[in-house]
Amino acid sequence: MLNHIRPKNVTELLEALDKQYYHVFAGGTDLMIRKRQWQGAERKFDKDIAFISHLDELNGIEETTDSYIIKTLVTQAEMTKSDILPEYLKTPFSQMANIAIRNIATVGGNVVNAATVGDSIPVLMALDAKLVLKNIYGERTLEIDEFIQGKYKTVKKDNEILEKIIIPKVEFDGYRYKKLGQRKAGILSKLSIFIVYKKDNDDLTDIRIAIGAVNEIPIRLKEEEKKLIETKDINRYLDKLSSAINSKDDNRSTKNYREQISKRLVRKYLEEIMQGGI
Amino acid sequence: MRNITFTLNGEKVTVETTLSRRLLDVIRIDLGLTGTKEGCGEGECGACQVYLDGKIVNSCLVPMSNVIGREVQTIEGFAKTKAYEKIEKAYIEEGAVQCGFCTPGMVMATNALLKDNAHPNSKEIKESLAGNICRCTGYQTIFKAVKKIADEEEK
Ligand SMILES: Cc1cc2nc3c(=O)[nH]c(=O)nc-3n(C[C@H](O)[C@H](O)[C@H](O)COP(=O)(O)OP(=O)(O)OC[C@H]3O[C@@H](n4cnc5c(N)ncnc54)[C@H](O)[C@@H]3O)c2cc1C
Ligand code: FES
Ligand code: FES
Repeated sequence: MLNHIRPKNVTELLEALDKQYYHVFAGGTDLMIRKRQWQGAERKFDKDIAFISHLDELNGIEETTDSYIIKTLVTQAEMTKSDILPEYLKTPFSQMANIAIRNIATVGGNVVNAATVGDSIPVLMALDAKLVLKNIYGERTLEIDEFIQGKYKTVKKDNEILEKIIIPKVEFDGYRYKKLGQRKAGILSKLSIFIVYKKDNDDLTDIRIAIGAVNEIPIRLKEEEKKLIETKDINRYLDKLSSAINSKDDNRSTKNYREQISKRLVRKYLEEIMQGGI
Repeated sequence: MRNITFTLNGEKVTVETTLSRRLLDVIRIDLGLTGTKEGCGEGECGACQVYLDGKIVNSCLVPMSNVIGREVQTIEGFAKTKAYEKIEKAYIEEGAVQCGFCTPGMVMATNALLKDNAHPNSKEIKESLAGNICRCTGYQTIFKAVKKIADEEEK
């Protein structure tokens, strides 16, 4: 008999997780589907579940002088409606799934799930987000690229939860976001591109470029971003991007398509950005 | 099994069920309200849409643990409102219903949109209904019906 629990607070949750394995269940938009059954039948969960969506301690968006703090249970819809968050952070969330899904899908769930097509991951990588993981003994803070190790693979231990995401505040001068999928909304990305940048007069001073859904983990070439600022050499950046792409053909798209389209779009955006537009 | 209490269409109900059971099954099987439909069972088609604390959700993805103490409104509850009457009228006038399987969800999604944005443009209408699949109408009559309500509001 499976033993599903609904802990009263975070301490009770962490105590339970320390004693035995529970699958943490937030919005359930990934989990309910993975456990799909025939109509009307009980979902066939094969592990004990700990439901957490009612825990207010894990919910809310806050800001400090230097960061935005997104607690794990914040939904995609709450991200897009936030009064605190900047547009560059709201736009990608407004293009995920559809309204009904965005109302229940959590930001934390998208990150911990670590799907190749998780649209929040490239965005958070470009913004140098940090994740705070918690267990009954304490907490640790990791860079998002230390956290995600591969497709559906993270360094989270079984007795840990993701508590919150910390995003450093930067006054970017502009951003670009493009998500390509099969339908307008609600479809898994074939490819997504997220760029934020700062300029001093016409001079590029900071740029971050992340490309999602192509490799298992989003591509971000930090060293090449620095070179791009120094040299303004777009071709060099695109060559490095080509070598970084190692995706395989799959049922969402082919490698060649993704490579050609990523390069074409990134070139277009970089030309716009460097030619003084916003 | 445990007793789970929530508000359904304005009335408190208690069902004996499990934390992991889907809200959709409790609504249709335990409580006998069959206006809410099951299409895909995986969040893609919108036939199962209901309001949870006033927000539209796919009830096929919501476990009962996430419903405890909250308010659910189904198409049966929504059908008693003024907002529903307007939508029904526009759907009938534009011929936006054929087999009707998608209609309860489509109507719930239409209202969710109009509540947020009384005058949506065509692009906003399409985006808002992107989570609702219709196998019959080809969508144009549905979009027209929604546009009609939006335009009437303007007068
Ligand atoms: C129709 C549809 C369309 C979709 N479209 C998109 C899309 O366009 N882009 C996109 O990126 N995704 C999309 N998704 C996927 C999905 O909505 C997201 O991945 C969602 O953000 C997951 O959050 P959740 O709360 O629903 O996760 P859950 O299903 O509850 O959990 C997901 C995983 O994360 C773990 N987890 C969750 N929270 C925590 C925590 N705090 N601590 C530890 N572990 C945790 C769970 O154990 C589980 O393994 C779509 C899904 C559907 C059904
Ligand atoms: S049955 Fe729930 S979205 Fe299709
Ligand atoms: S009217 Fe038949 S599915 Fe929409």
